[in-house]
Amino acid sequence: MSTQPAHGDATIAVSDELAARDDMIVCREVDKWFGDFQALSGISATIKEQEIVVVLGPSGSGKSTWIRCINRLEAHQSGQIIVDGIELTNDLRNIEKIRSEVGMVFQQFNLFPHLTVLDNITLAPIWVRKKSRPEAEELAESLLERVGIPEQAQKFPGQLSGGQQQRVAIARALAMEPRVMLFDEPTSALDPEMIKEVLDVMEELARSGMTMMVVTHEMGFAREVADRIIFMEEGEIVEVGTPHHFFTEPAEERTKLFLSQVL
Amino acid sequence: MSDPREAARDASLSALGTRPPFYRDATVVRWIAQVGTLILVLAAMWFLATEAGDSLRARGANIDFDFISDYIGIQVGSGIDTNPDSGGRALWVGMVNTIRMAAAGIALASVIGVLVGLARLSSNWPLRRLAGVYVEALRNIPLLVQILVYAAVLATLPNVSFGMGPISGWIHVSNKGLSIPRVFVADGFYQWAVIMLIGAVVARITYRRLAEQREQTGAQTNAGAWATGIVAVFAIVGWWVHPIFGWLGSPLGSLADGVGAIPQGVVQLIAALAALAVAVWWIRRFLAQHRTPAGLTRLTDDDWFRMIFAVVAAAIVVLFVTVLWPGLSSWVVNSSSDGLGVLADKFGNGRTGPPIDAMRPDIVQPGNFANYGPAGLNLSIGFAAVYFGVVFYTAAFIAEIVRGGILAVPKGQSEAAQAVGLRRSTALRRVILPQALRVILPPVGNQYLNLTKNTSLAIAVGYSDLVQIGQTVYNQTGKTLQVMAVWMLFYLACSLTISAVVNFFNIRMRIVER
Amino acid sequence: MTDPMLPPASTAMGAEPVIPAASPPDRPSLPPGRWIRENLFPNTRNSILTIFAILIALFAYRGLLNFMFSEERSWIAVRTNLRLMFTQAYPEHQYIRVWVTVGTIMVLAGVSAGIWARWGGVTVKRLMGWLMSGGVLTAAGVLVREPSVLTDAAGESVRDDAGELVRESFAAAMADRWVWWAIAIALLALGLVLWTSLDDLRRRTIEIPVAWLIFGLPALLVASTWVVRYGHYGFTEGEFIAEPGQLVAMTTRVPWTFMWLILVASFALGRAARDRAIASAQAAEETPNGGPSDEGADDDAVPELPRGALARTRTSVNLLWVLSPFFLYWVVMRDPEIDYAHVFSTMLPMGLAFGAAGAAVLWLLTRSDAGEVGRLAAIGLLLLAAFHWVAAYFGWYSMLQVARIAFLLLAVAGLLAPNFAGVAAQRRRLVGAWLFMVLIAFYGATVINSPSTVETPTDMFIGGFSVTLLVSVLTIMLSFPIGVLLALARTSRQPIFRVLSTIYIEVIRGVPLITLLLFFSGVLPLFLPDGMELAELAAAILGYTLFSAAYLAENVRGGLQSIRRGQYEAADAVGLTTTQRTGFIVLPQSLRVSIPPLVGQVIATFKETSLLAIIGLFDFLRMANSVIPNQSQFLGVRRENLLFVSVVYWVVAFAMSKYSQRLEQRVGLGQR
Repeated sequence: MSTQPAHGDATIAVSDELAARDDMIVCREVDKWFGDFQALSGISATIKEQEIVVVLGPSGSGKSTWIRCINRLEAHQSGQIIVDGIELTNDLRNIEKIRSEVGMVFQQFNLFPHLTVLDNITLAPIWVRKKSRPEAEELAESLLERVGIPEQAQKFPGQLSGGQQQRVAIARALAMEPRVMLFDEPTSALDPEMIKEVLDVMEELARSGMTMMVVTHEMGFAREVADRIIFMEEGEIVEVGTPHHFFTEPAEERTKLFLSQVL
Repeated sequence: MSDPREAARDASLSALGTRPPFYRDATVVRWIAQVGTLILVLAAMWFLATEAGDSLRARGANIDFDFISDYIGIQVGSGIDTNPDSGGRALWVGMVNTIRMAAAGIALASVIGVLVGLARLSSNWPLRRLAGVYVEALRNIPLLVQILVYAAVLATLPNVSFGMGPISGWIHVSNKGLSIPRVFVADGFYQWAVIMLIGAVVARITYRRLAEQREQTGAQTNAGAWATGIVAVFAIVGWWVHPIFGWLGSPLGSLADGVGAIPQGVVQLIAALAALAVAVWWIRRFLAQHRTPAGLTRLTDDDWFRMIFAVVAAAIVVLFVTVLWPGLSSWVVNSSSDGLGVLADKFGNGRTGPPIDAMRPDIVQPGNFANYGPAGLNLSIGFAAVYFGVVFYTAAFIAEIVRGGILAVPKGQSEAAQAVGLRRSTALRRVILPQALRVILPPVGNQYLNLTKNTSLAIAVGYSDLVQIGQTVYNQTGKTLQVMAVWMLFYLACSLTISAVVNFFNIRMRIVER
Repeated sequence: MTDPMLPPASTAMGAEPVIPAASPPDRPSLPPGRWIRENLFPNTRNSILTIFAILIALFAYRGLLNFMFSEERSWIAVRTNLRLMFTQAYPEHQYIRVWVTVGTIMVLAGVSAGIWARWGGVTVKRLMGWLMSGGVLTAAGVLVREPSVLTDAAGESVRDDAGELVRESFAAAMADRWVWWAIAIALLALGLVLWTSLDDLRRRTIEIPVAWLIFGLPALLVASTWVVRYGHYGFTEGEFIAEPGQLVAMTTRVPWTFMWLILVASFALGRAARDRAIASAQAAEETPNGGPSDEGADDDAVPELPRGALARTRTSVNLLWVLSPFFLYWVVMRDPEIDYAHVFSTMLPMGLAFGAAGAAVLWLLTRSDAGEVGRLAAIGLLLLAAFHWVAAYFGWYSMLQVARIAFLLLAVAGLLAPNFAGVAAQRRRLVGAWLFMVLIAFYGATVINSPSTVETPTDMFIGGFSVTLLVSVLTIMLSFPIGVLLALARTSRQPIFRVLSTIYIEVIRGVPLITLLLFFSGVLPLFLPDGMELAELAAAILGYTLFSAAYLAENVRGGLQSIRRGQYEAADAVGLTTTQRTGFIVLPQSLRVSIPPLVGQVIATFKETSLLAIIGLFDFLRMANSVIPNQSQFLGVRRENLLFVSVVYWVVAFAMSKYSQRLEQRVGLGQR
């Protein structure tokens, strides 16, 4: 490792306007080990309200682990993660609260194969948000409309294409009316012709003012939609910057190397 | 957004970094639930145990194992000892009967099962259908019904009479069962066994050498044939020359004396220290594996549990050998000394006879009815009924497993084998079966286990297996719980042995495959 | 947006739902000569195998026939004791109760088949194959069976000087068996007529609905009891009756005819309900927006029922299936003598009080702001309920058992309350479920505690096959929830749960069932406190249940392990609680995967009930093996009964295993 990693708080003020917003996700010195492998070391970052952050990095760099820690799918081992002012600790109530505030979209969609599309979407609103069934179904139908597949409500996930499944997964996450959406490589498992339909939905979502954190390999999406890009390698944040800064004048050697390989 | 959210957020912000109350702490809640359940289970068992103790005391029965060594006066239908001199001996006879039947049953059931399984996949239509009928008929009828049918049918065989049987004088078949020549271990067996042991070592070395030679030069060395030949030569020559090992008696005898002289305290100390050492070594290794350059990793609940379990297990062992059952150590000392002594007696100058001998079955007529005499190996109708029952029944299941395992090998494999020009049978033996075995072995191991357990249905036709003899023992002595404990330990030991053997082969095969 | 690549709306939608299109298109049939050459004698090796297999088959077949038709057989023992084998000595004048029980099962079976069954058809080719093989088998049987023994005028078998039985000549035997020849020829002729009247394509495509066969064959059997003189055998009022050449007794013939009518009527009812649901769903789907929901992958061309249609009917039929064994056993068959004074003075007021108080508590616990306080309160309820049992154990204070059970039920409902909190509709659902549970508990307690009015010679009022069935059904129903819990514990991430469950499962699986049964029937009383008793049958069922639960747990575990981690994560990510995750996501998927092994376990349990005979209960096998051979009329007749028993066991087990294979295929195909 020739260069010093850019440790410390990665919240580089990108613009004054952004800095003035409320903090949505705050990470301070987050560490995470799997056995004796350190997946995250000293991650510190702040994500503002309505901000779109894209996390880039080679595979195995800890991007997915980090994003999963924010939803407590993995427990971090030291440091602090605060989402919308609620700290993620062992407190059951906080975990419950954060999970209903944070929507998550997975690489493998993870739709429930034994439920129809409609039931997939209404399950959590009914049983977690305690909505009545008609209310939840109305919401689900409007969300399906929003992601562009209103006619598929009665089908089972196995009958849909990958792109449609991922859009249903987005609708399912949105049905909880989350404050933040986390995307864990949402297009990696898709055929090329289906990637665009999912990215379109994500762009629309970004325009609507949702706070989003996206792990992806789609450089085009990062360049066009992101407010900030975080580059990770070996469990550390290497560089943070606007897309313009990141793609045109990266400061770190490792970032340059990565970009030269993927672009 | 909305007001309640803001309020909740402010409240949480002020509580940053503080510990949640215990009833909301995920870790605490998890452990309370687990420990609570554990306590509940232990308490329930304790209640039941005290209740059973009270009931037994009220009946004047004690929980002791005296019947193991006391004479209880029961007779056993068949087995190595029909007039056991103690309860323990009687149960031992039952165990031997069960093991015999299980071992013989496993062998035959495997053969029939594999044949039927292959027949079900045969290209020959009548054979395939016949195998199908066999499987569907046998596995859908309860085993107990089958055993009773066999018993009822066999009971209609003719009475015992002199001079009958397929091979006159050597095999008798009647409604008393089957009597065949008894093959037994005779005088010089142990001396001969020593020679065979040496022969096996020599054969093994020769085999290695020749196999190595073949690999280096490519010349055909017939390693297998040489090894077999060497073993055969040792067996034949040893048949007459085995008395040369008669001198082994005296060193074994002095070894027995030496073991017998070890004081009980030393054994206890060694066992306790060994248990502690294993626990300490294991925990150290465990921690070493979980140490990272940055320090110790966070241990999961499981990790903690394992370490605690290791300590508790070691403590239990120590407690057991020193306080709960101090007699165990002296028992270990005495029985190993006795065992060595018995072995020492098997060697000696007087032992010049053949190592193995056989006796022709005889028929005696003490009263009005003829019966088989003790000379032959007598297999009762009960034995035959249970044996055929478990064998045919288990074979049907094994056949289905074999068939499934072979079907599970991708079709491309047999196509590839044909493409390189292997014949159908060669392809089956060299390509398909080795792959299918990986799928077949675990469920077949389960079937072996089932067969072993199913031999306990012998109780329905009165064959003296462990359960039948156990029932007689507790009817005689009233020590029901103790006998049931013996049953449980025996069958669990059988299960563990069989799964260990199956696992061993399974792991071996996996390594071979890679 | 590209629409998914789905086939157009299934054309089978409007067609008769009974007849599916032929499943995989098979190859054209070979002419018989070529078929025989290619399948039986393609080369020397195969020809030898063929001859070998046929010889073995004929040998076994001959042995079976010789046994069945031997003059020494007394099948009359089986005929006479049919009722004994199925219901033991249930009093004659109360027999209507047995028929009500059978009728109830028929209604449930018929309605269920009507609603669920997706029976296909049997091609004419297969039917023809069955007919012809039946004909060939019959003819072969006539030929291979050994000639009958000659009898003298007194009906005694004739023996020669050496004491050997004298048999008639082969030609005479063939002539004597003209009825069998006629049957064989009729079957063959029917097959040939079908063969010649249709061309190959038609033989393979024309189908006869399976429903016709399923209802038609029993119809033939029932109808024949009105015509064919099977003979009248039985014990009437303890008197041995044997009247060959008579029609079957009225008391057998009439009820069975009714049973058949009930079965068909309820099937028609179920089918009608299903058709109506399909029709209304289709009407709803003809709106421009909703595309028809057809199965892309399902091989069965029978339309899948639209979601939600019939859901309520199906749930209630399922519930009836679950409740019916208890009702039929304790109420119909047992005819309890209910003490109404006690009911009005104690049970009714207590039940009402529990219902009302529990409903109020649950209503409070499901408030959306109940939070942790609610959970703590529920745990408090659980501790209270547990304390009542501990107190009962030490005899600190007395309390009706049903009250203890009600407290426990309330605690469980309380623990589930957070899942139902918030919306009024869900709160009402929980309260409704609670009231239903109270009703069942108090009604059940009243019925079980009332003495039976059925008088029988033994202390059990049913025996034989009904006990076999009762034990199987109760064992399966009771062991299922235990098995699921054990499997969940064994796959849990929490070590103590896992270790406890593993120890239990492995110990139980390591010991033979018979030792467990001997323990429960013989030793269990030692472990119970004074004054507490367990009926022999209950002890046996307990033993079976604990045994079967360990095996079920392993089957369910297989299903649990097949669920990918992503499913758990997705459920967590949308905020479901652990209970909700298990109930809505994990169990439905894993149980679907484990259906085939679960059915296998059901079959195993059914077969294992035969062990009841060893521990001294009068089950089906015991009747055949011990009871009938001890009757003075049929001393020592055992093999005939055992053969009959084997056939009955075989038919039930084989039907279940075939059904399971079908399910397996469907589960494999319908991976949705």
